[in-house]
Amino acid sequence: MSSFYSESTFLALIILSVVLAAIAALLFGIRKHLKSLNEEKNPTAKEPTFYESKIYPVISKWNPTIATLVIAGFLLVVLGAFGYKFGMDEVGVQQGYAPNQPINFSHKIHAGQYEIDCKYCHSTVEKSKSASIPSLNTCMNCHKYVKADEKYNGKTSPEIQKIYDAIGYDGDNMEYIEGYEQKPIKWIRIHNLPDLAYFNHSQHVVVGNLECQTCHGPIQEMEKVEQFATLQMGWCIDCHRERGIDSENNEYYEEVHKNMIAEGKDYVTVAENGGLECSKCHY
Amino acid sequence: MSSNKYWKGVEELEQTQEFVTSNANEFSEGLPLDKVFANDDSTRANRRDFLKYFGFGLGAVTLAACNKAPVKKAIPYTEKPDNVTPGVPLYYASSSVSNSEGFPVLVKVREGRPIKFEPNKEATYFGGGLDGLGHSAILSLYDTNRLKGAMVAGKRKVQEWADFDKEVVAALDKTAASGKAIAVVTNGSTSLVTNQAIADFKAKYSNTNVVAYEPISYSGIIRANETAFGSAVIPAYNFQNADVIVSFGADFLGTWISPIKFHSDYGKNRVPKDGKMSKHFQFESLMSLTGSNADVRVPIKMSNVGKHLIALYRELGGATPQNGMETAGNSIKQAAEELKAAQGRALVICGSNDEQHQLLVNAINTMLGSYGSTIDTTNYYKGQSADEKNFNAFLKEAANGSYGAVITIGANPVYSHSQAEAAYTKIPVRISTAITLDESSENSTHIATGLHPLESWDIQEPYKGRFILSQPTISPVFEGRHVASSLVAWSGASVKGTKEYSHAYAYAKSVFNNSIGGDFNKAIESGILENTTTANVPSLNVTVNSTIDAIAAKKSSDKELILYQKVGVRDGAYGNTPWAHEMPDPITKVTWDNYLCISMPDAKAAGWETGDTIKVTTPSGSMEMPILIQPGQTKETYGIALGYGRILPEEVQNDLKDLGHNAYPLVDMKGGFANYTIGAITLEKVETARVYEFGITQTHYSIEGRDIIREASLEEYRIDPKAGQNVHKPKPISLWEDYDYSKGHHWAMAIDMNSCTGCSACIVSCSIENNVPIVGRDEVRRRREMHWLRIDRYYSFEAPVKKDLSLSIVHGGDQTVEAGEQMTKEKVMEAYSDSSEDKDTAYDYYQNVRVAHQPMMCQHCDNAPCETVCPVLATTHSSEGLNQMTYNRCIGTKYCGNNCPYKVRRFNWFRYNENEKFDYHFSNDLGKMVINPDVTVRSRGVMEKCSFCVQRIQTAKLTAKRDNRKMKADEFTTACAQTCPSNAIVFGDLNDANSEISKLYKDDRSYHVLEELGVKPSVQYLSKIRNTDNKTNA
Repeated sequence: MSSFYSESTFLALIILSVVLAAIAALLFGIRKHLKSLNEEKNPTAKEPTFYESKIYPVISKWNPTIATLVIAGFLLVVLGAFGYKFGMDEVGVQQGYAPNQPINFSHKIHAGQYEIDCKYCHSTVEKSKSASIPSLNTCMNCHKYVKADEKYNGKTSPEIQKIYDAIGYDGDNMEYIEGYEQKPIKWIRIHNLPDLAYFNHSQHVVVGNLECQTCHGPIQEMEKVEQFATLQMGWCIDCHRERGIDSENNEYYEEVHKNMIAEGKDYVTVAENGGLECSKCHY
Repeated sequence: MSSNKYWKGVEELEQTQEFVTSNANEFSEGLPLDKVFANDDSTRANRRDFLKYFGFGLGAVTLAACNKAPVKKAIPYTEKPDNVTPGVPLYYASSSVSNSEGFPVLVKVREGRPIKFEPNKEATYFGGGLDGLGHSAILSLYDTNRLKGAMVAGKRKVQEWADFDKEVVAALDKTAASGKAIAVVTNGSTSLVTNQAIADFKAKYSNTNVVAYEPISYSGIIRANETAFGSAVIPAYNFQNADVIVSFGADFLGTWISPIKFHSDYGKNRVPKDGKMSKHFQFESLMSLTGSNADVRVPIKMSNVGKHLIALYRELGGATPQNGMETAGNSIKQAAEELKAAQGRALVICGSNDEQHQLLVNAINTMLGSYGSTIDTTNYYKGQSADEKNFNAFLKEAANGSYGAVITIGANPVYSHSQAEAAYTKIPVRISTAITLDESSENSTHIATGLHPLESWDIQEPYKGRFILSQPTISPVFEGRHVASSLVAWSGASVKGTKEYSHAYAYAKSVFNNSIGGDFNKAIESGILENTTTANVPSLNVTVNSTIDAIAAKKSSDKELILYQKVGVRDGAYGNTPWAHEMPDPITKVTWDNYLCISMPDAKAAGWETGDTIKVTTPSGSMEMPILIQPGQTKETYGIALGYGRILPEEVQNDLKDLGHNAYPLVDMKGGFANYTIGAITLEKVETARVYEFGITQTHYSIEGRDIIREASLEEYRIDPKAGQNVHKPKPISLWEDYDYSKGHHWAMAIDMNSCTGCSACIVSCSIENNVPIVGRDEVRRRREMHWLRIDRYYSFEAPVKKDLSLSIVHGGDQTVEAGEQMTKEKVMEAYSDSSEDKDTAYDYYQNVRVAHQPMMCQHCDNAPCETVCPVLATTHSSEGLNQMTYNRCIGTKYCGNNCPYKVRRFNWFRYNENEKFDYHFSNDLGKMVINPDVTVRSRGVMEKCSFCVQRIQTAKLTAKRDNRKMKADEFTTACAQTCPSNAIVFGDLNDANSEISKLYKDDRSYHVLEELGVKPSVQYLSKIRNTDNKTNA
């Protein structure tokens, strides 16, 4: 696609041409109708058209009401689905978004096959609001030696070679290149929360004891990462309404836990603890 | 008693027509609906227009809807530094940028970007606060006008340093060969690193003369101390040891010497504990920040200050001739009595730069036993030690052609010294180490672009034996080089750094080892190092009789012009710091301008109004400026702030361009010192000039005679700690259902109006923390400033109890006015009518006003009126007592702003962060680096207001949860409370019995503003107690 138009501008132009085509078809139909009126006045024998011989006999048997409803229903479903998708994209809901990344990194191999702990690479997830994409020196902890060259006739895997090119590592001699100008990898961000919403990974992973997969889906099976959840506010809130906080094992919640027992409850949900209040996430 | 009524400005007091109309509305300008509906064809939309707009609108909407969210990149570190955690700030000890002598701070760094200064609480000597300019100066790092590297004049193209050095060395060698001298002009920096480098440079070029230059001179004090004690220093002042402070025109809380430190020291004795607090007399001409906080403020003329000093000297028992005294009614006598009673815990200071005045002050302080207690000449102050005598001599020689080269480090004399440009141009080689293009670097032949202090290693010594270390908190943004490295390079040594460290690091470390010694890394970590000795008491070498005769012989001037500094802008060294300029002046509340301050009696006598343009002619030149009428100012004195009129690079096209007028050329150098009080002036109105409209925030809201400020005298307080609070309170009937806040946290704030001096540091700190946009002068005129926190300054009259006007301020308020009654102009006139003998003196009472400062921000009312009226629930209440503002829900009806009794909500009229019209820092890529990533940048059309720094609350809570512990009392605080040099603001959890706030909430002085409304604010104020009875503090 031309980079001049964004994807959606292109779509709008297509819609516009469809509308214009419809108008052209209408005009053409009127012209044809006038022509046939003229022929009725001055009838001449002629061959039955394709429409008269093949299509008309079939559709003339249909019940006009049902036929209209079926066609209208079909259009409604197709266009409605398209419109829904379009609207969701517009407000930034990108569930299922799976762009091609500069390096075809496979979570399936790393997290699935080799069962590397998520936190080994996403090391700040317990300390910071962002889980953070690992820096290349984390990759190099293994890929200094792991070149996957057995699959590429003794040559370094082209994907791993991209790491070497970025950080300045000579895979053949297994040494870093002095004075190399490093080129950072520009990953494409998949999970884009709007600026107005504050999310903290450490809050959910350390305090909330959530598994990564709860929000990110079966990441260990993904060859290419895609957005699993909608990341819409309703999705956040649903979880906050259902899940209980770990009041028993966290001293911070001592008072909450006492009150909970006094009230004879089994658990306190995040929502009951104020987790639905606006400025818990919006500030 | 709080029976005296308060007013915010002359307009409100006089109820001018303009003020009344403009205050009738919530927003100064309504929608121009009447224009649209007027029966005027030119403004009416016709059918064709309608179709045009409709068609355009449809098209625009279609296109806008087609803009899908762009693909966002996420770029991790290639090699992540060990200690960096993306998303978690790091704090480095460093030195404040705006104080050239050094001031300890912490720098908050996010992902390698310094985003905020915070006070270094470990540096207790310096008080653990910071000022508005100090906060603002972080923008100088992200200034788009910064110089990009080494350049030679004319070419203005960045060069390789090696080539540049060759050129400079060739030029210097040529100068040395020609026998002409080389000058190094510094800003009197206390940097050990720079000074060592200058010494190294001198070793090669022996014919080098080092001259210190600073725009504001304190040479009077330095020379007087040399004469009196044989040590040419500015001493350290210890206000915390002073029970009685008498200041003659020294604005020590605002601009004099080291105001942030003085603030915290002074603040320690201003809270009435056990019925005791310090007593502060201020004799001054202009209404200064310090004067506004004084217990007793006596308006005098600065040209008369010497005669008042003579009177005080005599009252204290000094033998002097009887002539040449000014006693200011009874005030000097009163001050003398208090001072005598506080022997050893007294302090007298003077803001004059005249050596003779300072000599007399030294004699007075010696009599009072201040040395060794409130004044320390042993561990003296090392900053601002430049004597203009040396610089003026240098300029003279330069003008004669005796200098072949000059290297200017940190100083900008071409801007602030009227003779500098002519003399500089006579020097063939002019090398500058500036970091931004300023008047002096513009005028240079070579620019060896330096590093910003936040990019540099440095060791400073603001006080003898007290060191401040700074380390780089960001790698150089442009191709600058440390000044020390440049000097060392020119002296012939190699400045090649290693892979890990620059040359400057090794150099700074060697300076540390040679001159201080010890663990460098440990010192760098804490940022401060102290190695002081016990203060000894110097003995006075001289008698002051001849000094007194000399002062007495001088005639005081008829009219005088006083050049002063504004709290936010100071000497003007930081021209491109929009935050400092948008910070309203604590007294006048004017933003973005300087002006000629004039007293009310003078203005009335001449028939001038605020905004009229006046031409003021002095012996050194004349200026045309708009005037501003200032209550409290002494009759026949006029004031102009220095630090304005900077010539900024052409690229600057915002309000910083052509900002105010440069008053430095008016400084009087005739007496052999920089005299900022100028006599023999004439003033005339420029009739052709238009009335100038200031961007002024003070009268944006009116107080309608409500009970907002509560105050009492110390004596009343000692009898009844609830003094000043006996206001009739209607029983609140609540519209709202009560909520039980006793569980969990309940955040609240307390503001002590006794400690709050109005310095406005909190405003800037808040703006930086919360990404509050800068809107510029025009928008302030439209009442659209965005500050979440403002400081209301209220004036009240000191109605005369006795007929003697100058005495009246010493006594309590006006007893003749009933509570609830508006203190109108007529009322005051009536009260004063006996004492005013003719019409000309009828406005003299304007010289005696009292001031109260009250920080005002969202009060987080439990029953918030704003929440009730929001149609979309964009503002709601949290279970922790916060009034929450949800920007993404707000549709901008502004109902909340209308319904807020405290007028603290701000509306985003523009998308400030993307609008080129607001080209301050928000809208350019470099300036955006300073944005706090934890706070949303608001878009157009939404309301915003103080959030109690909810991002800090959330972070602190999360830290506790992660550490599996309960929250500690006061483990964090808001940005305003954190920066307050006098600890006037306290924030915390009311439900935590150990927190300071829960104790303060029980204080007898505490009250809520407008509590009769029943909105139950979460901000409590502690009433102001003035030490106005002379018997209370014996």
